[in-house]
Amino acid sequence: MPQEREPSDGGFRARRRGQGELEAQVLEVLREAPGPATAGWVQQRLDGGLAYTTVVTILSRLHAKKAVSRTRSGRSYHWQAAADAAGLAALKMRRVLDSEADRDAVLASFVSALLPHDEVLLRALLDSASDGAVQPAGGDPERDGPAHREG
Amino acid sequence: MGVFVFLFLPLVLPLTALPISRLAEQHLHPRAATRLLTGFGLAMAGCSALCLGLLGVLGTAQIPGNPLPDSWSDPGVRDMVPFHVEVGAASIGMLAVVLGAVARTLAGRLRVAARARRAVADLPAGDGPAVLPDDRPYAYALPGGPGRIVVSTGMMAHLAEDERAALLAHEQAHLTHRHHRYLLATRLAACVNPFLRPLHRAVAYSTERWADEEAAGAVGDRRTTARAVARAALVAHHAVLPGLPAFADPAPGPVPRRVAALLGPVPSGRAWPPTDSPAGPAAMLAAAGTAVSALSALNAATALLLVLKAATPL
Repeated sequence: MPQEREPSDGGFRARRRGQGELEAQVLEVLREAPGPATAGWVQQRLDGGLAYTTVVTILSRLHAKKAVSRTRSGRSYHWQAAADAAGLAALKMRRVLDSEADRDAVLASFVSALLPHDEVLLRALLDSASDGAVQPAGGDPERDGPAHREG
Repeated sequence: MGVFVFLFLPLVLPLTALPISRLAEQHLHPRAATRLLTGFGLAMAGCSALCLGLLGVLGTAQIPGNPLPDSWSDPGVRDMVPFHVEVGAASIGMLAVVLGAVARTLAGRLRVAARARRAVADLPAGDGPAVLPDDRPYAYALPGGPGRIVVSTGMMAHLAEDERAALLAHEQAHLTHRHHRYLLATRLAACVNPFLRPLHRAVAYSTERWADEEAAGAVGDRRTTARAVARAALVAHHAVLPGLPAFADPAPGPVPRRVAALLGPVPSGRAWPPTDSPAGPAAMLAAAGTAVSALSALNAATALLLVLKAATPL
């Protein structure tokens, strides 16, 4: 099934979000399972009448993300949730970050995106910050190169 | 014509806040800059919205169904408010656009915040941050309620112990000082009047600097905080934007400016920029612009009320 990225259009993005929700559902079913479960077992417990192949696809994708583990049993696999509550939260959070273009305006991010020249500048600043790490902090009058006053 | 010409002033006067939006970061403590700029932004946006509304009311005085009494279409009254219907219609159109933008911004904010909170809702709500197992490096402060810090293991792994402490202190400062309120307020102000967009960007930068200074105070080392910011930005840059098309912009972006500021001296705690710095006159200009905005809006509103009263047989 489509794993590789296609040029993004609206429909594709909507489909991706749907798949993300399915991943969370499948993972939830697996977490409630008493033990390793087959894809057929998962399919029965999912409401929405998904095709067997779709369930297997979702399970494989979760496996690639290390959210589930699998053991071979005969000709098929037995699946088990590897992710705990934190792992599930991480999947959900990632879905929010992927689908909300506006996220940085709402959730205060630690760092914003860099401009093209910023990387070089940051590395120089990082060097100067690391050099002086042995000195006591605060009140250091030393100017840090040309970067200090630009802006 | 009379006093109603002043109705257009508050729509352009936010331009007087441009110099202080640029200069505040160099001459003011980020806390003071955030508060000052947010104050200017809210006052000017309020006046802009009021004036758009009044222009709409005045300009459509002749249109049936306007919210004014019937005697409003009296020829004498019309002479006193010589506005074209087109101006009024345009104002109402702009007001509708503004309201739409405000509603969309608020709805988007509520949706993102709710989704993010739901994502971590199942994790035990201790005091500590929610550390999520994800290779992608990110760190966010989720506003609302008690607020929550969300950090990925991908971000934590790239930082040293003391740098992690600085990152968490930074996010905690966002929550403690309710920075999202300043951000939302100036964002809505920029929806009302697009001339206030640079001011919103300046406030966004100031809140980051504010949180940086709080973090530096909490971990007791400005250099550690500077390193945390720089390292986190580089890690996130490489993870999310591997091939950003480069265009020549020699001015450093927000992150290097934050790092440089942390490596520089501690900002002084004054609430108003010193008069001998360029920021002093800039702040005065913005204050004057705000005052004229408020007076114009007030003046026009009062005049409209008086005309309305005179035109209404009671």
